[in-house]
Amino acid sequence: MTWLTLLLDVQDTSAASYLPIAIQLIFAAGFVAAMIGMSALVGPKRQTKDKLETFTSGITTHGDARQPMAIKYFLVAILFVLFDVEVIFFYPYAVNFRSLGWAGFVEVLMFVGFFLIGFTYIIKKGALTWED
Amino acid sequence: MNAIILSALCGVVMMFSGILLKNKSAIKYVAIAALLVLIIGNLFQFYGIYTIDIDSKGLLSFDRTGLFFNTIIFVATLAYFILSGSDIERAGPDVAEYFALIFFVLCGVTILTSFNGLLMFFIGIEILSIPLYILTGSDKKNLKSNEASLKYFLMGSFSTGILLMGITLIYGATGSFGLQSTTIKSAVTGFSSAGILAPVGLVLLFISMCFKVSAAPFHFWAPDVYDGAPSVFTSFMATIVKAAGFFAFIKLFAAKSEDFGPGPAWKLILFVIIVATLFIGNITAVFQQSVKRMLAYSSIAQAGFMLFALYSTNDFTKDGILLYTAAYSFATIGIFSILTKMEDYSLDGFNGLSKSQPVLAFTNTVFFLSLSGIPLTAGFFAKYYMLASAIKGGGSLSLVIIAVLFAAVSVYYYFKVIQAMYFKEGVAATNTPITGNFKVALIVLAAIIVILGIYPTALLGFYYF
Amino acid sequence: MIPLLLILIPVVSAILTFFLKNGNAAKNWALIASTATLIVGLYALCPVCKLEFDATWLPLLGSRFSLSLDGLSKMLVLLTAISFPVVFASTYNNEYKQSNAFYGLMLLTQAGLMGVFLASDCLLFYFFWELALIPVYFLCSIWGGEKRIAVTFKFFVYTFVGSLLMLIGILYLYFQTPDHSFAIKSFYALKLSASQQNLAFWLFFIAFAIKMPIFPLHTWQPDAYEQSPTAVTMILSGVMVKMGIYAVIRWLIPIFPSATVKYADIIIIASVIGMIYASLIAIKQDDVKRLVAYSSIAHIGLMSAVLFSLKTIGWNGVMIQMFNHGINVIGLWIVADAIEQKLGTRKFSELGGLAQKAPVLAILLVVLAFANVALPLTNAFVGEFLMFNGLFQYNFWIAGVAGISIILGAVYTLNMVQKIFYGQTVPATQNALEIKGNVQFVLIILVLVIIGFGVYPQPMIDLTKHIHP
Repeated sequence: MTWLTLLLDVQDTSAASYLPIAIQLIFAAGFVAAMIGMSALVGPKRQTKDKLETFTSGITTHGDARQPMAIKYFLVAILFVLFDVEVIFFYPYAVNFRSLGWAGFVEVLMFVGFFLIGFTYIIKKGALTWED
Repeated sequence: MNAIILSALCGVVMMFSGILLKNKSAIKYVAIAALLVLIIGNLFQFYGIYTIDIDSKGLLSFDRTGLFFNTIIFVATLAYFILSGSDIERAGPDVAEYFALIFFVLCGVTILTSFNGLLMFFIGIEILSIPLYILTGSDKKNLKSNEASLKYFLMGSFSTGILLMGITLIYGATGSFGLQSTTIKSAVTGFSSAGILAPVGLVLLFISMCFKVSAAPFHFWAPDVYDGAPSVFTSFMATIVKAAGFFAFIKLFAAKSEDFGPGPAWKLILFVIIVATLFIGNITAVFQQSVKRMLAYSSIAQAGFMLFALYSTNDFTKDGILLYTAAYSFATIGIFSILTKMEDYSLDGFNGLSKSQPVLAFTNTVFFLSLSGIPLTAGFFAKYYMLASAIKGGGSLSLVIIAVLFAAVSVYYYFKVIQAMYFKEGVAATNTPITGNFKVALIVLAAIIVILGIYPTALLGFYYF
Repeated sequence: MIPLLLILIPVVSAILTFFLKNGNAAKNWALIASTATLIVGLYALCPVCKLEFDATWLPLLGSRFSLSLDGLSKMLVLLTAISFPVVFASTYNNEYKQSNAFYGLMLLTQAGLMGVFLASDCLLFYFFWELALIPVYFLCSIWGGEKRIAVTFKFFVYTFVGSLLMLIGILYLYFQTPDHSFAIKSFYALKLSASQQNLAFWLFFIAFAIKMPIFPLHTWQPDAYEQSPTAVTMILSGVMVKMGIYAVIRWLIPIFPSATVKYADIIIIASVIGMIYASLIAIKQDDVKRLVAYSSIAHIGLMSAVLFSLKTIGWNGVMIQMFNHGINVIGLWIVADAIEQKLGTRKFSELGGLAQKAPVLAILLVVLAFANVALPLTNAFVGEFLMFNGLFQYNFWIAGVAGISIILGAVYTLNMVQKIFYGQTVPATQNALEIKGNVQFVLIILVLVIIGFGVYPQPMIDLTKHIHP
């Protein structure tokens, strides 16, 4: 334990040292709760029929908001999220581009390689073909 | 390192084999070939001949126990592929993906046998778990399978959350992800140096691992998930995955047994958990009419025995968990491979199997005898090592006696199947014709179990010499 | 090499038997194999041969495959070796479905029994102890009577619980040995404290008591005897119960001397209660098999009481009686089986006057019955005389109460003889035929052995005289 403690410069590891954080948490939660509660209690309430209707830029509402949507949309959406998240890895690389040197470049190439394998896989599986 | 990289690559290969190969039945052979490559690669590292070596900056460390455990797991998977490969093909349309997911699980296993810190441990657990959620739900049209998958996913996520919380607290208390025994020791025995955070973190870690290995009282997901999942994948989950979970559990909590001096409170917690696990697993299994559900509860009961390795950490523990893994996995894989061939999963479905399929009935008997821990089967030495480790630990004779009584209870429900097969009249029907190859594979597996039962040195000899 | 042969012959021939498709071939093969074992067993009696075998088995655990034959082992090995050919010959006419499996399992049982009596390594002993149980479980469950599944399972669970407790005891002792060994010598050399002995004593004793069985752990026995196929019942009562007594002599009393002395009274009293209780129940029985079963409990109870009285003369009696009881009870079962096979019933109330129809059987049974009540000039007399001698040395009153069981034994045994063989013939026995061929031959041999050892018991006394508490 000792060498890592030194390494990370953690001097006081007792529970007491976390007291400020706990106070801050309590304060944050308490503040939010107090604000919401107060506005609900103190604020004026005037409920009319018009006021409870859905507001759509002055146009009267019609039909159901829950339209059926093609399942493919979700598939594409989730794949987008997946790849988008992976792209995030490029940011730290871009920042440290110079210091990482060729070794870093090889590693990123591998990463892109895996990336492309996954991409090939979803194309081959037909996950991105919109028409059946 | 070989095994980690190769298993991930094998998974990718399997993914593409589904696209490239038009013949579905060829996929199974690709998977078997890939697994053989994996086994050979792992053995190379075990004997130190040629290894891929990547500097993991101390995150991973490879030792003989871990590598040997990998080998056992891979061989068990090989047996699983050979025996149940055709059932995987029937499980659903995405055959190649199922094999790929299994390889990814194996990748998780290899990380869990070589982690050197809580970070890699967490990654291993996640790589192990996520493919399982998919495999559980692979029978898309079956509501029970969907339910099981969702349940498993939600419960798994919660336990992962608890695991992370535990890791966080330990990191907060010690400033390290390391597995140093001093870390754990100070956390367990003394509440002074690290304050309350480390013990709480350790307990959270413990709870989440209990969940993963389905130890009571964190076992509630197991019967439903094992019952709901397609039987082929239940077989995989209840054996290989569970054994790997145990290995990681033990590696985590007994990292350095000589320095690790668990306090009395710790032993008491384990005592209660072991007894509860044995009690719930065995007593509930007695009342099951479905063999599949009975095996689910029996896997909880077997977990109780494997927890012995955690209770007493000494030189018997390592041999014990290796032998237990082999004995339990081989037997259960064999039983499930027969079960998936049966028309009716209830006990009565096995009536008269000895007449219609004598080879199946005989090998199934050997597997069940092994699970009951009868001498001349591998299961006996597995239980023997566990009991021996507990007795050697000293002062826990009462626990051993309780365990032994529950082992006798387990005989009751295991033998019900044997009774159905041999002593009851009926026409046990199989849903597919039984091929000669399948029978040969079963006989080989049963022979391995018997050989290990007569001469366990055959297995442990590899490890020691 | 001889001890190894005694185990190897049954094992190998059992495996071969499983592959014989023809039922008769399996039957003949089993008879030949068991006779071969008997020849080796007789050869083992010679005083000059090498009677030890030792090979590496589990070096990691400190267990060796070591067998040895001393006087006590010889006695029981001989009993085992004789019983199997006798059983096979006397039940030769019985037809079993899948008879290859039946005979294969019987031979495996023999191997297990031989191993128990030969092993001089505790883990090996445990192995054989279980190996003797598993085939019997299948034998009774497949070929037994109507209630066989439940009854056999009860038997199995009883003995299995016992063996597992014994395993704990074995492991406990193993960790006490300085060199971590299972060898009997290391176990004998242990210096255990009183509390250690008291604990481990019961772990071992429960296993042995279930096997014998001693009151109140006997409840599996009458049902199991009744429901098992007769060939198996003969082995169960003739040889298998001796496993418990043998184990007490070899593995219990020498290892836990002080605990034995401490608990001897309790065990003797339980044994004597069991004797009286079993005898009283036997009187009320209407079924030949159940009667013999209860009579067996009474005999074993006496042996166990004498064992724990720890008197040399009593022990000599026990040694002799172990062999003789085996012979006598097998003889009785053969008669019971012959009656059931010929007349289709075992109930006294449905039998009578058989002596008129089958005089030879009647004469043979009367000799067996006399042996069962230990009349002079039968083999059992010597044993029981020595045993009661020992028990009287221990405590007069206990011996007196135990003596009542002899009287009760005479009551029920002779009652059985009278009801079955004398009186008026009833419809069931109207057309009864005399026993012939193999059954007659085997019974005559057994009766000759009974009378022979009754008149001249010295060889048996010589064989085991060096064993004393």
